[in-house]
Amino acid sequence: MLSMLSFSPRQLAAQCLNFGLVLSTAFMLWKGLGIAANSPSPIVVVLSGSMEPAFARGDLLFLWNRGLDTQIGEVVVYNVKGKDIPIVHRVVRRFGGGATPLRLLTKGDNNAADDTELYARGQDFLDREEDVIGSVVGFVPFVGYVTILLSENPWLKKVMIGLMGVMIALQRE
Amino acid sequence: MSATTKIAVHSLADLKNTTDDALSNYLTSIKFQRSHRLIDVRLALGYSAVILAGGLFYFDWKHGPQASKPYAGPAVAAYFALNAVFSYWVWMVEKGCIFEGNNTTGNVRILSTSKKYDPTYYLSVTFTDTSGKTDTRDVSASFSRWFTSDGYFVAKPFQQWLASNVPSIGAADPQNIVEEIGRGSAAEETGGVSVEEMLRIAGVAGATGVKSKAGGSGRKRKG
Repeated sequence: MLSMLSFSPRQLAAQCLNFGLVLSTAFMLWKGLGIAANSPSPIVVVLSGSMEPAFARGDLLFLWNRGLDTQIGEVVVYNVKGKDIPIVHRVVRRFGGGATPLRLLTKGDNNAADDTELYARGQDFLDREEDVIGSVVGFVPFVGYVTILLSENPWLKKVMIGLMGVMIALQRE
Repeated sequence: MSATTKIAVHSLADLKNTTDDALSNYLTSIKFQRSHRLIDVRLALGYSAVILAGGLFYFDWKHGPQASKPYAGPAVAAYFALNAVFSYWVWMVEKGCIFEGNNTTGNVRILSTSKKYDPTYYLSVTFTDTSGKTDTRDVSASFSRWFTSDGYFVAKPFQQWLASNVPSIGAADPQNIVEEIGRGSAAEETGGVSVEEMLRIAGVAGATGVKSKAGGSGRKRKG
């Protein structure tokens, strides 16, 4: 640890740059993954237990949104119009496809009924291209719990970012 | 870092950083004009990458990821290209260069390294004189030579070490050149040469009687 007061302006700029590069690289990696997967949000965290035992709360899911011919049995993540939280559920029916737009009906493995109630008012099915942001292709259990904690306790986020900044700014190893 | 700051003597990073800073101060004090070319290029590369990422982030946040989609691909490619050039610059061009500068006699470029858990300061000093002749000196010394045991940097022994071991620095600061006379602390650096050996080298009269025996043991200890 050393005091930042004794830094020359160039050293200070270099130190801030280290912090900036860590943040920007994380963002650009996420962006790059999004481009590769053709999904606005290539990694999501499961927030509910509606897909147990396949996926539990806190699992980290990797999405792939290329090859739009989704089959019955695939687990997809979709956004409902007017709602912010993406939902992870399994496809149980499909209609159309080919020339007509592919429409899907989904249901949580752990839910008694299908998702028609969850969809927007007047919507009885999902439009594959418009609503779905990707199919699940891989997952890591538990890791997502960190983000659940962070989103449920917003002050933690500020503390974490602050701590990260202080650490990167001070170390000069 | 100023010489009056106390550091943890067991932290190699502290030892090296303090010494690096002191070296720059010393060289500028003996009329070497410091060049900031290397760090300026590094900062330019790094900050343009960060600004590019920041721009994309702002656009995303302002207009949504759907609107930024056409720009995201090129931006990500450009970002990682800049990052690659940045890494190349840091590892292949700067290579741990801590000082670059020139005076009336030529241009000096100094790289410093230290190995993990080895409290030795390694310097590689490349001096290019005005006629274009280069001379590279690799010198090393224990940090304990210029740090007190409680963690204060002492400038004098450090400057003497540099001036005595690197001719280009010695030429700029002849006051600090000290001759090794094989006494005091300098004797410790002879690396286990026996007293007999020293006497033999010095050609002390009367040592002839033990010459063959002592010479043999001296050679053994040397190896």
